[in-house]
Amino acid sequence: MINDIRVGALIAYSSVKRGNKKTLVFIVFVLSLIFLNLVFLPSMIGGLSGLFTGFMQDYPYGDIVIEPMGDNSYINNADNVLKKVRAVEGVRAATKRLDVGASINHKQKVVGVTITGMLPIEEYDISRYPHIITEGDFLTDLSRDEIIIGAMIAGTGFGSEIYDNLGQVRPGALVEVTYSNGVKRTYKVKGIMEGTFEVVDLNALVHYKEIEDVYGLQGREATTVVVRVDKQGTEAHIQEKIRDAGVNEPIYTWADKSESLIRQAMQSMGAIDIMSKIVSLIVGAALVLIIIYINVLNRKKEIGILKAVGITPRSIVLSYAFLSTFYVSLGIFAGLILYFSLMFYFQANPVTFYETMEISPVIDPVLLIQSIVTMLTLSVIAGILPAWSVSRESILKAIWGR
Amino acid sequence: MIVAKNIKRCYGTGETAVKALKGVSFKIDKGEFVAIMGASGSGKTTLLRILALLDDATDGEYTIRGLEVSSLPEAERSYYRLTQVGYVFQDYALINEMSAAENVYVLSMMEGKSKKESYKTALEALDKVGLKGKHDRVPDELSGGEKQRVAIARAIAKKPDIMFADEPCANLDTNNSKQVLDVFKELNEKYGQTIVMVTHEPWHVEYVNRVITLEDGNIISDDRKLKEKGSTELSSQNSNH
Repeated sequence: MINDIRVGALIAYSSVKRGNKKTLVFIVFVLSLIFLNLVFLPSMIGGLSGLFTGFMQDYPYGDIVIEPMGDNSYINNADNVLKKVRAVEGVRAATKRLDVGASINHKQKVVGVTITGMLPIEEYDISRYPHIITEGDFLTDLSRDEIIIGAMIAGTGFGSEIYDNLGQVRPGALVEVTYSNGVKRTYKVKGIMEGTFEVVDLNALVHYKEIEDVYGLQGREATTVVVRVDKQGTEAHIQEKIRDAGVNEPIYTWADKSESLIRQAMQSMGAIDIMSKIVSLIVGAALVLIIIYINVLNRKKEIGILKAVGITPRSIVLSYAFLSTFYVSLGIFAGLILYFSLMFYFQANPVTFYETMEISPVIDPVLLIQSIVTMLTLSVIAGILPAWSVSRESILKAIWGR
Repeated sequence: MIVAKNIKRCYGTGETAVKALKGVSFKIDKGEFVAIMGASGSGKTTLLRILALLDDATDGEYTIRGLEVSSLPEAERSYYRLTQVGYVFQDYALINEMSAAENVYVLSMMEGKSKKESYKTALEALDKVGLKGKHDRVPDELSGGEKQRVAIARAIAKKPDIMFADEPCANLDTNNSKQVLDVFKELNEKYGQTIVMVTHEPWHVEYVNRVITLEDGNIISDDRKLKEKGSTELSSQNSNH
């Protein structure tokens, strides 16, 4: 076997050293494109997914979110929960929110929304809400009878035309809000927020106290307690620590929530991703096989000669396995250069969707390793199969075609 | 050394079957330089390929040094081709991407010799056929005669029991042909190499000491004392057939 490997390596080495360089460059170029095809689209979809999960962290869920137990509408002892959470090591900040359903009326235009009651000062440490005010100002601790309206329902943001909107509401305008319990309030629009994310731009914000008053709550309730951690990646660990601290309400990490909530939104994207991977793999496998097979067929006579002079079929098959592995390794290397060039370009110049949503591709090491292993496995199969097939032919047929 | 008994080779079946060899028998002793001659289609190349284990006989027995080789499994035939048999092809059959030395020493490596030892053996073989200093050249950088000498070096480097050559001068001019035949003659006379060569050139018989002539798949003459008789007589004998 060692002799087979040595001879196989010598044949492959000679072939690479003195073979047609233009053919080599062409094969490597095609293989690099095959590799790129395997990794590029998943990276873009990964970027899209990352964008959505980032939105989820930055707005509704933070790093960890605590929700009411069972069928309860509220976390009834939210302040107690907050106290326990804030005492946990690794927690950077936490706040409580009240989400309720309502409709907003402005100049006979009515839009249904979710209104979030929040503590504005605490939000600076929790979310990006305070930083996405495109017109007017964010709420303050003294904000009463004031509302922040998402750009899509205000009718000023991109995509407003798709949804019912209030028709170009600007800061200073008065709107009438009818809450789900029938209570009506008139608010002055303090600001318009635009997060280029529907969950944000179709939402409205008021001070926590407003919701408390409207719903007659006791100052301890919340629909969610939102938590941010010191260090990304420790969410699951902190989640456990919060549970250990005696919080009995359901506790989710942003990943848990993303999985369940974004799953639907990403389902079609995921299907495209999977289909694209399968198609890429099939196309890639076919192309690698075709390239190597043509290469082997062109050397059919050579294989016959090698057999005729006593080189074992195993050496011949190994030489083609080495050769195709070499081609594919170079293809992967060139593909990685192309891939990283494109990644860096698109990270510096993100692809813009809907004018405002910027998607930067994500470099996923696991995906890269998977694709490299796949390509190398294919290369070994692609090298071995045709060479094995030709090496089994009679010497006369291989050399003289009969 | 070689004993062939009633070797038959038939291509195809039924009415379209072609009987290339119809039952040839002969014996070749060690150290002989034998030419197999005959008109095109007489079966001489078929016979050589069977003797060199590149093709199978349809029927008959064939032994080399007492070993029945015709019925060996492919793995053993491959080993036999590697270690006991040298074959020189009409069209050189060199690997174009290998240098002259690599074309030769790849076989020594296959036998298990170290690269250094294999390289040394290859250089000796190339020197022996007059290609000293050309071991790094690839086939495209060599003349037809030089290519054929590389092929001969490849065949003799492993010191085979028998060397077979299938019309080794068919693609060469007279001058190159003489050079190649001189190499064969030297190998035979100086080193006692057994050589079986297929040729259709009458003047080649000057170099050999036995001629087996085939016609329509049968041996029609087997002349062992050529040197005494002279090539002219043999050429005349061949032309009568």
